[in-house]
Amino acid sequence: MTRRVFLGLLAVYFGLPLLAALLYSVATRWTDTPLPDGYTLSHWINVFAKPDVVGALGRSLLLSAVVVVIEIVLVVPAAYWSVVHNPRIGSMIQTIAVIPFAIPWVVVGAGIQLVTKSVAPQLFGTFWLLAASTAAISFPFMYRAVESSLLAAGAVQLSEAAATCGASPMRTLLKVIVPAIRGGVVSGALLVIATAMNEFALAKILVGVSFETLPLWSARQFVSRTLGDPNALAVVTIFTFGLLFALSALVVWLGRGRVSASMGGNTIS
Amino acid sequence: MSHVVLDRITKRFSGHTALNGVSVHVEQGEMLALLGPSGCGKTTLLRCIAGLTAFDSGRLTIGGADMSGVPVRKRPIGMVFQSYALFPNLTVRGNVAFPLTVRKQDRGRTKERVDEMLALVGLDQLGDRLPNQLSGGQQQRVALARALSPGPEVLLLDEPLSALDAQVRTRLRDEVRRIQHQVGITTVFVTHDQAEALAISDRVAVMNAGDIEQCGPPAEIYTAPSTRFAAGFVGNRNTLELSAVDGRVRAGGAFDVQAPSERVLAMFRPEDVELSRDGEGARATVDVTVFLGATTRVYTQVQVNGHPATVFADISSRAAAGLTPGDEVRMRVADAHVQVFPA
Repeated sequence: MTRRVFLGLLAVYFGLPLLAALLYSVATRWTDTPLPDGYTLSHWINVFAKPDVVGALGRSLLLSAVVVVIEIVLVVPAAYWSVVHNPRIGSMIQTIAVIPFAIPWVVVGAGIQLVTKSVAPQLFGTFWLLAASTAAISFPFMYRAVESSLLAAGAVQLSEAAATCGASPMRTLLKVIVPAIRGGVVSGALLVIATAMNEFALAKILVGVSFETLPLWSARQFVSRTLGDPNALAVVTIFTFGLLFALSALVVWLGRGRVSASMGGNTIS
Repeated sequence: MSHVVLDRITKRFSGHTALNGVSVHVEQGEMLALLGPSGCGKTTLLRCIAGLTAFDSGRLTIGGADMSGVPVRKRPIGMVFQSYALFPNLTVRGNVAFPLTVRKQDRGRTKERVDEMLALVGLDQLGDRLPNQLSGGQQQRVALARALSPGPEVLLLDEPLSALDAQVRTRLRDEVRRIQHQVGITTVFVTHDQAEALAISDRVAVMNAGDIEQCGPPAEIYTAPSTRFAAGFVGNRNTLELSAVDGRVRAGGAFDVQAPSERVLAMFRPEDVELSRDGEGARATVDVTVFLGATTRVYTQVQVNGHPATVFADISSRAAAGLTPGDEVRMRVADAHVQVFPA
C-alpha cells in the first residue's frame, strides 16, 4: 500500500508538469481556470512553420548527431582499450569522468572560453568548439554505459577468442565487440543525445546567438516574455520530451527482444 | 621431432612465480593433458603457448618455428575457452566461419569447410541458431568447431568441460577424444579433473606450484607416481606415516618394502587393499562400509607402529556383503603397489 502511494506521488511529481505543458501546448486560452478554456492544434502547426524554431531544432539535432559520432569514435575504443588491454588506465578515466559532475558546466564553459581565446581564438564561437565541448562533458554517460556493457559481455574473453581466430584488434573491435555491446552504445548515445539536446550553459557561453540551439531559443522566450510565445515553448518542450521518450522506448524494446531470445533458447538440449 | 616444445618457460606475476622453468614437449597428433590444482600454472602455460600471456624467459617452438614475438593471431593454434567465448551476434555458422573470413578464404570454400566442421561436431542442423539459443554442451561443440575450422596445427583446450553438468561432460569428453583422433591434431588440454585427464589424453603432465611433477602415460601416472604430490593428487590413496626398521617398513604385516629414510610416507590405492577374515596381514577392525554399486568402500581401523590409523579399501560388493562394523579382518597390500616417499 505504502509502495503504491509512493509511486502515485512520484507519478504526480513527474507527470503533472508534463501534463501542464501538454495542455498548454494545445490550449486556446488558459489563465485562471483549472483547465484550458478550449483546445486547438494550431500551436503545433504554427511552431513548426516558424523558421527560428525549425532552425533551432535542426541545430540541436545536428549538435546531438555530431556529439554522438564523436563519442562513438573516441569513447568506445577508449573504453575497450581500458577494459581489455590496459585496465590500469581505467581508474584514471573514472577520475576524469567525475569532472563534469563535480564542476558546474557554466564554470567548464568559462574555462573553455578562456583557454580557447588564448590557444585557438579562431575556434571561438564556432559550432565545432561547441560540439567538442559538449562531447567532453557528456563523455561519462557514454563511457559508463559502454564500460558496463563490455564487462557484461565478457569483452576480454571475446577479444582473446577473436585473436586466436586470427582477427586483428581493429577487426575484433568492429566485428565482435561493437555488435556485442550494441545495447550499451545505444543507451550511452541516448544519454548523450539528451544531454546535447538540453545543454544550455556551454551553448550560451561558447556560441551564443550565432548558433541558437533549442535551449537558447527557449531561454529567449522567457527573457522577452511579452514578445515570446509561451504556447510554442510548451510545444517545443513536449516535442523534445516525446522525441527522447520515443528513443528510450526503442532502446527498451530492443533490449526486451534480446532477453526473450536468450530465455527462449536455453531449453534446447 | 616434437611438434610443440616448451623449453624452460618461466613466468612471474608481481613477485609470484607462476611457471618455474617448465620444459615439456608434445608429439605430432598427441593429446597432452596439463593436470593440477587451481593456481598450479596450467592455464598460464596454455596461455603462453597461445601467446595470450607473454613468458619472461624460455623458448617455445611449434612445428620447429620459434614463437618468440609472434602475435596470437599469427600463431598456428585454435583455442577453446572454458566459458566458450562464442561471438553472441553471430550464428553458429557465423562463429565457425569467422576464422576463415578473417583469413579471406573464398565463400565457396568457407561454406564447405563450415559444413564439414558442423558435421564433425554433430551440429549440422543448428547452423542458423544464435549462441544463446544453444545448451552449454552445444555451445562448447560450436567453440570446438570454430577452433578447428582454419585447420590449426595445435588445438588448445582450456578446461572446456568444467562448466557442463556431469552427464554432458562425460559424453562431450569422449566426443572431444573422438574428434581429436579423427582430425589427428596435436592437442594440449588443461583440466583439474583427473578422471578427465586420465580418460582422454595420451600423456598427462601433473603440475604443482608452477612446475611439472611428472609427465607420462595415464596408466603410469596412476600406478607409478614418481613424486609425493603426484601420488596424492591423482586418484584416491591411503597415506600412512611410518618409521623404518632395519631400512624397511612393514605396517604391522600389511606390506614389507624398502624405506628411503627413517620416517616415510607409504601410499597405496584403496583398490589394492585386500581384506580377509583370516590369513596374513595387519590386524584391522571394520569401521564403516559404504555401498557404491559394483564396489563397496570399507573403512578400517588398523594399528600401525602402535598408533591407530584409518585405511579404506575398495572391494567388490559381493566380497563385502558379509562385513559389518566391528568385524576383525586382516589387511594386506601387495608390496609392488606401495609407493614410499621420505616423510
